[in-house]
Amino acid sequence: MRVHIPSALRRWTGGRDVVELPLAADMRMTAAEVIDALAREHPGIRDRVLDEQGELRRHVNIFIDGENARFAGGLKARVGADSEMWIHPALSGGAHD
Amino acid sequence: MAMATNAKLSPATGDILLMVGTVKGAFIFLSDRRRGDFKMSGPHFAGQSVWSAAFIGNGAPRIVVGNKSNHWGAMVSWSDDFGATWNEPTEGNIKFPKGSGESLNAVWALEAATALGPEVVLAGVDPAAMFRSEDRGETFRLNEALFNHSDRPKWNPGFGGLCLHSILVHPQEPKRMYAAISSGGIYRTDDGGDSWTACVNGLRVHPDVPGATLCPHKLRFDAENPSRMYLQNHPGVYRTDNEARSWVTIENGLPSDFGFPMVAHPRRGGSIYTFPLISDEFRVPRDGSPRVWRSRDAGASWEALGKGLPDREGFFTVLRDAFSADTLDPVGLYFGTRGGQLYGSNDEGESWRAIAEFLPPILCVKTAIVD
Repeated sequence: MRVHIPSALRRWTGGRDVVELPLAADMRMTAAEVIDALAREHPGIRDRVLDEQGELRRHVNIFIDGENARFAGGLKARVGADSEMWIHPALSGGAHD
Repeated sequence: MAMATNAKLSPATGDILLMVGTVKGAFIFLSDRRRGDFKMSGPHFAGQSVWSAAFIGNGAPRIVVGNKSNHWGAMVSWSDDFGATWNEPTEGNIKFPKGSGESLNAVWALEAATALGPEVVLAGVDPAAMFRSEDRGETFRLNEALFNHSDRPKWNPGFGGLCLHSILVHPQEPKRMYAAISSGGIYRTDDGGDSWTACVNGLRVHPDVPGATLCPHKLRFDAENPSRMYLQNHPGVYRTDNEARSWVTIENGLPSDFGFPMVAHPRRGGSIYTFPLISDEFRVPRDGSPRVWRSRDAGASWEALGKGLPDREGFFTVLRDAFSADTLDPVGLYFGTRGGQLYGSNDEGESWRAIAEFLPPILCVKTAIVD
């Protein structure tokens, strides 16, 4: 599977915009497990995507194969060997802009 | 004083630094001790909010800041070359315990606590807690006693969050410390942080009804007598003469009891500065005429200082951490506004001029002399 890294976090992946995680064809992982696996190689990623309680930060979105993971089980959303996962800053705006 | 120009900074011993945190990044201003011409560098952490800053000297200068990305979280970062390069921790360096249900929102206060040790930095954060670093701001440990205080269920977030914003370490007896929380109250420890006692006797609450939570806005030591402190409270301005065991009101003579900052002269006891706003409901200077108010008798009387400040149409706000004094003689004073103006005074508040006029909304202003 492939994880797309937003530009703001590429300093923590050595500049790479996509990180490949090898998965067996019949293997499934949760989004949380993907972030764990990613953070083993690139430890700066985890605390920027998740807070210290392991929750997805409020203004960070994860998209899996074109679907917002918030509406597909959150960090329990499943990915497969052919999945594409995007970590993306939410398009938030408001009072303090 | 000329308006600041953007430049690479090359500080020399004795120069003055202003560390200015805004909602869009940090700006560093540098001048020699005449304070006539400030050079500016920034924005640092462009696009992030910078809520707090501190300078650690001791021959190895370091600036630490509390930066926050609305997307990627808050942390403490540091620069050992006056902002030319920054170190952002790989993993978050201020974290609440797993299972506590709390997560860091912002770092409101950073203090180089030299009385506790040359490497010690204390952090006050939202949600309200104190963290301590023994390595010049690189890693932090939670103060468990305050975090687990039995009053905690009564603390309430204000518009700005539930923040621990003021940390004072007694200069001669550093095991005695004070922490102020909005809305929560003022707490004192006499044992280095192992236990904390509420110190709110005499303060009134907002709203002024039984059971409501106390909301101190900024707490400062008197320059000569650390048993004496000054407080801009949400409603009211106060002084204690007995290590916060009781408080007396000192707002008589001020145009209002509402405001955010409190600043003490660094050497002259009894000299303090505030920036009153009309009221909780309308947080701007009276008549659009912003004034710094000074007392030279510990709050018994007050005088308005406004030379160089707008006489009309000045409807800006100064937040609690956005007003500081330097330690030069005469003392320099600096405040930043939510309108993005940075004002300075070289004569202890007698006259003011803009150092910068068009910054993003200013959250904090800290000063340091380069050693």
